Amino acid sequence: MKNLSIFVRKEFLHIVRDPKSLMIMVLLPLVEIMLIGFVLRFEIANTNLAVVDMAKQQQSTKLIHRLEGGDRFKVRLTQSMPEAEELLTEGKVKAILYISEDFDRKAVENSESSLQLLLDATDPNIATTIEAYVKATLADFWVDSIGGSPVPMLITEQMFYYNPLLKSVYATVPGLISVVLMLICALMTSISLTREKESGTLKVLLISPLKPLQIIIGKLAPYLLVSLLITGIILALSFGVFGVPMAGSLIMLIMVSFVYCLCALALGFLISTKAKTQQVAMMMSLAGLMLPTTLLSGMIYPIKNMPLWLQGITYIMPARWFVSILKHIMLKASPFSAYAGELVVLLIMTGIFTLLSLKNFTTRFR
Amino acid sequence: MSDVIIQASNLSRRFGNFVAVDNITFEVRSGEIFGFLGANGAGKTTAMRILCGLLAPSSGSATVCGYDVATQSEQVKLNIGYMSQRFSLFDDLSVWDNISFYAGIYKMSRAQIKDAGNTMLDKLELSKYKNRLVGSLPLGWKQKLAFAIAIIHKPQLVFLDEPTGGVDPITRRAFWDMLYAAAIEGITIFVTTHYLDEAEYCDRISIMVNGKIGALGTPLELKEQFKVLSIYDVILALARGEEA
Repeated sequence: MKNLSIFVRKEFLHIVRDPKSLMIMVLLPLVEIMLIGFVLRFEIANTNLAVVDMAKQQQSTKLIHRLEGGDRFKVRLTQSMPEAEELLTEGKVKAILYISEDFDRKAVENSESSLQLLLDATDPNIATTIEAYVKATLADFWVDSIGGSPVPMLITEQMFYYNPLLKSVYATVPGLISVVLMLICALMTSISLTREKESGTLKVLLISPLKPLQIIIGKLAPYLLVSLLITGIILALSFGVFGVPMAGSLIMLIMVSFVYCLCALALGFLISTKAKTQQVAMMMSLAGLMLPTTLLSGMIYPIKNMPLWLQGITYIMPARWFVSILKHIMLKASPFSAYAGELVVLLIMTGIFTLLSLKNFTTRFR
Repeated sequence: MSDVIIQASNLSRRFGNFVAVDNITFEVRSGEIFGFLGANGAGKTTAMRILCGLLAPSSGSATVCGYDVATQSEQVKLNIGYMSQRFSLFDDLSVWDNISFYAGIYKMSRAQIKDAGNTMLDKLELSKYKNRLVGSLPLGWKQKLAFAIAIIHKPQLVFLDEPTGGVDPITRRAFWDMLYAAAIEGITIFVTTHYLDEAEYCDRISIMVNGKIGALGTPLELKEQFKVLSIYDVILALARGEEA
């Protein structure tokens, strides 16, 4: 018993004297609980919905007001179907409600009314939830506004543009690619660089005629290669086994993956300039990169459903932008202009991470 | 050979308010074994990093092999070798992989590497372990291998940072035989150590105290200067002087 208490005391001292580990131990579960608690929500709030109102009459206007009321939808009125479809392809709206010219007349006549709902099904969960909300809103509207006559059977005929079978694997593959690449690029590089630091070989390398940049590139290039290889394998699997479509350009996809890999490598490098040991590097990579990449990239949980401050954090996650680009290329075949902005963000991030880590690296040893 | 290979003039390095190296001036002559002593935190490592071209001096200047460490660090790096306390070999690579890697980064050609590498392994009697992983070698062998690799590109000068830390006395003695052999071949040896018996093996030693050079000379000169019998007592005398 005495030995045990001495041992416990010693372990306790280790913890107390190492505030960083203590911070990690306290903060990690906290962050995890917060993340999962906030993100694991399936209700939809403030969904962007385009409405094409061809009727422009009393009832259709009322319906639009009904949709605008409450916080479920943010309605964007568009003049034509092509305009609305463009918004959908660019991801600016999640669904389109088309109200045809004879909506008012048919509603009053109690005959079959014509409404069309188009859903962006790249996120199948969101798509079905939006559908349910629109249906519910319509049903309420019928009871209140049309009144008298019994609530008609509402048949919303859906046409899924991008993911007709509503396969969730379509949504997860881009996310999976982002997580795996982050794992390999960032985690592995940070660990391998800190290993050199720990074993003292990095110092020998720095004293050698090798230039710091050569050391860095020499360290990172193999991981970049491995990462691209892995991307290829994941893609081959998703096409071959899961039947994920490749709607857009494969070359574009590879180029974007290359940029994302560079970004992740730069992050791993940045971690290695900060971490003194391999364990620390691993903790930083796992807690600081892996977990947020999984949860905040929009891969599993829709970003729209997160509280605002957490949505803000997703903006600094490279994976968020990468996953969005991947969905554009793989599922929607959107034009380059639709994701050019995301690509620029990714490039800027890569630049910033690289500069930061180079600065750390050189001031540390120079 | 009595040319000067390291010339440090009024060399200082500050980190914020802390003066790690405080205005030191000394020279190391070509071909000698120069012992660089001092307590932990006395500024040895910082001084050595400056001389290796890893750290710019805050003030003062130093030339190594005729090149200025602040402005010509690339040339300095080509002409020196370095071995650290932890031998700095890759444990998960084979003996030969380590040799060809380090020889390669010093810009030796394939033929040169093959030639020098094999000669070296013969000399060390390690030829049959060529393909063994370095991690599986006994400490003493690793240490010899690390030194042989540090001088494989025939540098004019080699820096050894506590090369014998954690090694038993007999292996240490054998290691010093290697140092003497290298010195005879004309390689200048700049070595830091905490073992005072090793200090006695050096041609000349300097002892750093709080960033300054407290004493400099041959072991015999220092003992006479402080009127004591061993380097240990010289260091004690210096430490007492610091307290007083």
